[in-house]
Amino acid sequence: MKGLSLMKLSCAEAASLCTKAEYREANLKEKLRLKLHIYLCRTCKDYQHNNKKLSSLLKKANLKSCSSSEKENFRKKMNNGNSQASQEQKKH
Amino acid sequence: MEENVLNPDKWVDRYADYLFNYTIVRVNDREVANDIISETFLAGLNSMKNFKGDATERTWLISILKRKIIDHYRRINSGKGQAEVKMNFPNSEDEGDWLEEKVADLSDMTAEDRMENTELGLAILECLDQLNEKQAQIFKMKTIDGIDTETICNEFNISPSNLWVIIHRARTSLAKCLEKNWF
Repeated sequence: MKGLSLMKLSCAEAASLCTKAEYREANLKEKLRLKLHIYLCRTCKDYQHNNKKLSSLLKKANLKSCSSSEKENFRKKMNNGNSQASQEQKKH
Repeated sequence: MEENVLNPDKWVDRYADYLFNYTIVRVNDREVANDIISETFLAGLNSMKNFKGDATERTWLISILKRKIIDHYRRINSGKGQAEVKMNFPNSEDEGDWLEEKVADLSDMTAEDRMENTELGLAILECLDQLNEKQAQIFKMKTIDGIDTETICNEFNISPSNLWVIIHRARTSLAKCLEKNWF
């Protein structure tokens, strides 16, 4: 029985393990614990199903992000443009 | 109702990724996209007095961006005088002269699919806006940029289990937000 209690997992723990597994960072023991929990718990099973769907949507969306240097560049250009604009306003 | 106000200091943090994803699928070149986005922010700054507050900040910036993208198309086409339409005329030696047989393979991802995926991406970014800033940031770093757990934990000074709880919560809100249109 001691072995089983080691495998025990609360739903909250299962939820974050499930997320961890979506990013392929759960280890074998964690995956086994999650599997067992999901076998026994309908709510978490549904949650996992949705979570997988969300992952596939995220993959499909193929989101890109600007690097921090690109963002810095935007800020710089905005600042330059802004000071030019205010100088022009002063002239008028 | 909340009043829409402009807050240019936050533009880059809040909308750069959104504008970038909108632009890149249309111009297909990172550098060009960045130039167009810079122009958009600048144009926004210079026409702040025209903002009436009926639209959200994001919608307003997108409307400027759209014009900048059209300007870009005009610029690259002006050298040729006209937009160029290329058409390959069927070679009579090939089998099948019907145009239907000449269309591209349907299993390819069409421009339409790509647009739909971009729309999905923009919907996701809009939903992420509703999360608190730290949550959204951690989620993006992990999911979009694929940064490893340890690096993020160090940067935010949190434990790995903390990180997974945060990401789990972000994903739950995201799923709820996307539910209406995409699930």
